[in-house]
Amino acid sequence: MRYIAPLLSIIILLIAPFYGQISIEVSNLTNPSTVDYKLFWELRLPRVVVAFFAGGVLGLGGLIFQSLFKNPMGTPYTLGVASGSTLGVASAIIFGYTSFLSLFGFIGALVTVVILFGVTSRVKSYDSNSLLLVGIALSFFYSASLMILFYLSDESQSFEIIRFTMGSVDVLGIRESIPLVLTGFGLLAISLWYKKELKLLLTSNENAFLKGVEVRRVNTILLLTVSIATGVCVSITGPIGFVGLITPHIIKTIYKKSADQLIVPIFFYAGLFLVLSDFISRNLGASSDVPIGIITSFVGGPFFIYLIIKRK
Amino acid sequence: MLTIKNYSNQILTNISLHLKRDENLIILGSNGAGKSTLAKLLCGVTPSKHIEIDSQKLHRLSAKERSRYINYTPPKLEIFDEYIDIKTFLELSRLYGSISVDEALKLLNLKALESKSCQSLSSGEQQRLILASSLLHGAEITIYDEPTANLDPNHTIEVYQILKSNRIKSRIIITHDLTLAYRLGYPIIYMEQGEILFRGESELFFNPLTLKRYFGESLKKIDNYFVVNI
Repeated sequence: MRYIAPLLSIIILLIAPFYGQISIEVSNLTNPSTVDYKLFWELRLPRVVVAFFAGGVLGLGGLIFQSLFKNPMGTPYTLGVASGSTLGVASAIIFGYTSFLSLFGFIGALVTVVILFGVTSRVKSYDSNSLLLVGIALSFFYSASLMILFYLSDESQSFEIIRFTMGSVDVLGIRESIPLVLTGFGLLAISLWYKKELKLLLTSNENAFLKGVEVRRVNTILLLTVSIATGVCVSITGPIGFVGLITPHIIKTIYKKSADQLIVPIFFYAGLFLVLSDFISRNLGASSDVPIGIITSFVGGPFFIYLIIKRK
Repeated sequence: MLTIKNYSNQILTNISLHLKRDENLIILGSNGAGKSTLAKLLCGVTPSKHIEIDSQKLHRLSAKERSRYINYTPPKLEIFDEYIDIKTFLELSRLYGSISVDEALKLLNLKALESKSCQSLSSGEQQRLILASSLLHGAEITIYDEPTANLDPNHTIEVYQILKSNRIKSRIIITHDLTLAYRLGYPIIYMEQGEILFRGESELFFNPLTLKRYFGESLKKIDNYFVVNI
């Protein structure tokens, strides 16, 4: 199991771009004049790269939020960061700024982060639960705002918004995936840098404080990093639910280790999970791809419940 | 080296305290008297601008410097992560103490439990783990909040011997165990309703008149032991 799982995963990652509704001739991949060449390098490969890094960012972001909030439900999604981003993108669609979708999505996420930190800095003592409650309240506010936007929109705009909220890893050309790849590596690097502090925070905030961790500073840096990374991710892929919530739990149950030792595995397997979900969504044989968010929740939900029951 | 002057908040009233280097202190008092509140203030867990340590403001110190000066051990262990075992916890606690993790494990009879999850420990095991971690931490001043509350008689003796040993530099011990306080013989503070009512040497506190004033009929001295008069 120890070697089989990573090996199998790498094989899946390698073959994923070769399969889809249209089959690709391997010999054409070096010939720029063929359709296969364009299909592979401009669509399939970027898609797999985006899926992998989006999964990694969401999974690792979930793990870090869960650790900092000491709450298995704490993820960037529960905090409203993703909803803020969705609202930003929906506004861009309604008000006709369709060429700035990503920018609007990113601003939506950033505004949410600023509100979260503005509110918590007014709370006297640092309490991560108050942040969580503010996040939940924000999510409700955002979904109400989204409903208003739906009400204002015409049919084609509504469709576009709904399609975005289902999540998709469709990108055109490898260049579009670069911001996400950089974000992924950045998040990984900062998480690994604070590994020791993270481990102490996993005991309790009080214990970490007494052992010489600048609890407030480390918390703020990590929360901000994850929020920004999530903002980048959601603005590109739309909100893909469930990855951030369940992959950390699944990997923890399998590895039986603390979060600080799972930073790289969770990034890797959450990435793999999205690549696999996208692979399934592309190969179901429907006339158009099934949105990836549907696959993640469809596969992830029951599997997660199975794990909880088995774990006792 | 540790000073707090005329401090008051919702719970504490007009608290002043001064502890010199290598001095020790025992804090006694009724439930809800503010003992733990005072302890959390002194170690910085509750932020305050009124604590000075070595003539420096505690809240101005970096987290690292503060951890070298002062440590607080709670009566109960709170650990979020289920996969942190005893050995890992002790390794995380290792800062300035001269003892090794292995020695600490042996000293407190925790060797056999070293790979057990901290979340599944009994309250007595938790207390021994907390004490072991404080030795590894090795701060200048360590505040022990009810270190013997959940121990069986054998382990109480063990912990008593460690508490009075020179493995700890300077200690403040909060306890309800008067026999323990008496045996340790350190200066005593007695608190009630957020105020310090008594401050002085051990012999002074343990004379029958003082004891009668604070405990009335609920305490009996038999030989050199203090027992609750149920």
